[in-house]
Amino acid sequence: MASSTDIVLKVEDLRVQFHGDGPVSRAVDGVDFEIRNGETVCIVGESGCGKTVTALAVMGLLPQPPARIAGGRILFGGESLLEMPSSGLRALRGKRMAMVFQEPMTSLNPVFTIGDQISEAILVHEAVTTADARRRTIQLLEDVGITDPGKRIDDYPHQLSGGQRQRAMIAMALACGPELMIADEPTTALDVTVQAQILQLLKRLQQHSRMAIQYITHDLGVVATIADRVYVMYAGMIFEQGTTGHIFNNPRHPYTMALLDSLPTREKRGQRLYSIPGSVPHPAYKPSGCPFHPRCPHRRPSCVDAFPEMCDYGEGHLARCPILYGMERDSA
Amino acid sequence: MSVETPPILQVQELKKSFAVHRGFLQRKGGSIQAVDGVDLEIQPHQTLGLVGESGCGKSTVARLILRLLPPDSGRIIFEGSEITDLDEQAFKPLRKRIQMIFQDPYSSLNPRMTVAQSIGEGVRMAGIRSKADQRRRIEQLLDMVGMPKASADRYPHEFSGGQRQRVGIARALSVSPRLILCDEPISALDVSIQAQIINLLKDLQQELGLSYLFISHDLNVVSYICDHVCVMYRGQIMEAAPAGALFDSPCHPYTLKLLAAIPGSKTSEKSKSLATDRSSIAATACRFGEQCPDATAACQGQILGLREVAPGHFVRCCLKNEALK
Repeated sequence: MASSTDIVLKVEDLRVQFHGDGPVSRAVDGVDFEIRNGETVCIVGESGCGKTVTALAVMGLLPQPPARIAGGRILFGGESLLEMPSSGLRALRGKRMAMVFQEPMTSLNPVFTIGDQISEAILVHEAVTTADARRRTIQLLEDVGITDPGKRIDDYPHQLSGGQRQRAMIAMALACGPELMIADEPTTALDVTVQAQILQLLKRLQQHSRMAIQYITHDLGVVATIADRVYVMYAGMIFEQGTTGHIFNNPRHPYTMALLDSLPTREKRGQRLYSIPGSVPHPAYKPSGCPFHPRCPHRRPSCVDAFPEMCDYGEGHLARCPILYGMERDSA
Repeated sequence: MSVETPPILQVQELKKSFAVHRGFLQRKGGSIQAVDGVDLEIQPHQTLGLVGESGCGKSTVARLILRLLPPDSGRIIFEGSEITDLDEQAFKPLRKRIQMIFQDPYSSLNPRMTVAQSIGEGVRMAGIRSKADQRRRIEQLLDMVGMPKASADRYPHEFSGGQRQRVGIARALSVSPRLILCDEPISALDVSIQAQIINLLKDLQQELGLSYLFISHDLNVVSYICDHVCVMYRGQIMEAAPAGALFDSPCHPYTLKLLAAIPGSKTSEKSKSLATDRSSIAATACRFGEQCPDATAACQGQILGLREVAPGHFVRCCLKNEALK
């Protein structure tokens, strides 16, 4: 087992609520996870399950209000981020941890060249000259696979293709050699062939730097390609966690199983796809007990009231379903 | 094979270009050949998959078939009769036979119309006169797509993405079409909802004998649902084959590249690096030439047509032509 000094990010019982006109939305409802050096951890879940809110909470980018962090701890390199003054967070963000967003066009500033925007990240955090920052920016653009970086550095975002923009975003995130990169659906808006290139790029960059990546996605195919470990989220909670092998070959939670069963593949041609009935609950109107119970094929009467505790299957494989855990133990 | 059952839709040599306007004065500066000689055939009760990356012209093909855009040239033959040159008046009844389902269920329903009003327009078009009959038909359609009758009097914003897509499907079905053009019908939906909609489309196909043109960039879905597949690249069909043949023995280098890009696929690890000397290839007639890992100087100056490499399996690649000779 890795020692605790290896852990870059540790999130404990994080709770984020949104206060609006209606009832309180409990978007993140007691999430625990950790990421070690050099590891790629995927947070998988459908829209509205709280995966982006978790990432924004870690980065300290949640707008408060309407958001409110109602509990929990976020430890980055042993330091508690929630207790840190905003000046400390600013020094950390972009230097030791960085984020790549889903839609590169809306997260790049259209009136500055990409060179300006990438070198800004360097100039803010390090005492270097403008010329040095520019040289490093060209190197970064080359690292992320942009051809002719000496010329493209003076391009505006609209002059780049979607894939190139996302590469520029990644270059910006890498500018100060962060220990942790949070990538929020970075390939969802891209074509499959470009997506494959970006995933390869992330893997290659990681081999050079021991950087940890927290990768947020809803695409299980992407997870299978890049993840070392996986957290499956539903309704603001972690439902299952384990290595990529655990999750794909030996899923233990009905939700994970259902997600894998519902993927259309060639092998399932002619068969009916398994489909999860109903839809993802709204964070303000979560079902009681286990939030998945209205859609669960293994539902028992007790699931309606009893909160599901995490059950340990060993080797870091945990799933939040006492029903299946009990059946497993009885048959063993 | 297609001798006894004539295809429900045939598209021949379809072309469409768009003018590109540049600068402040929006002067015309050249044009983009969005669809460049596309041939398609959809058999009754079957699903034809049209795959390719964004910008390859696949949605334009659907819009041309439905006459939402006028084609530059080419023929569109629906149920045996040519519909390319029909005027708007003559084309109108055909809109009942060909319908479309859109990608984004949030923008394709009118937010100020209830579900019953949205579907009701089609029901009236289908010739149902009395209010009571219309209402019965609307409720029947909602039932077909798995929505409760009570949803008829609610507005689109009250529904989730999957439910809205069901309403979109019910609206398409309201005029009893024979062919439905599905333009990325599931890519805006959550993973757990995608399977529901795929199952629904398959059930409806069986019940009503529908034919689908299924436009998608997701090869997993296409391999699951489609009978035939056409792979499109920059306005041209690069490979067309029965689904089994396309996924078992893909021929075109572009198809191979797409298949390798499926996340989690076994080939995705090692994608071929490009050949070193690309200068000779730039002049080739092949659209894929500059990107093609297999391109050689032999590609230069070759005339590229679709060639049949196996029964029903067509490829547009001069290297495959060479191999045949």
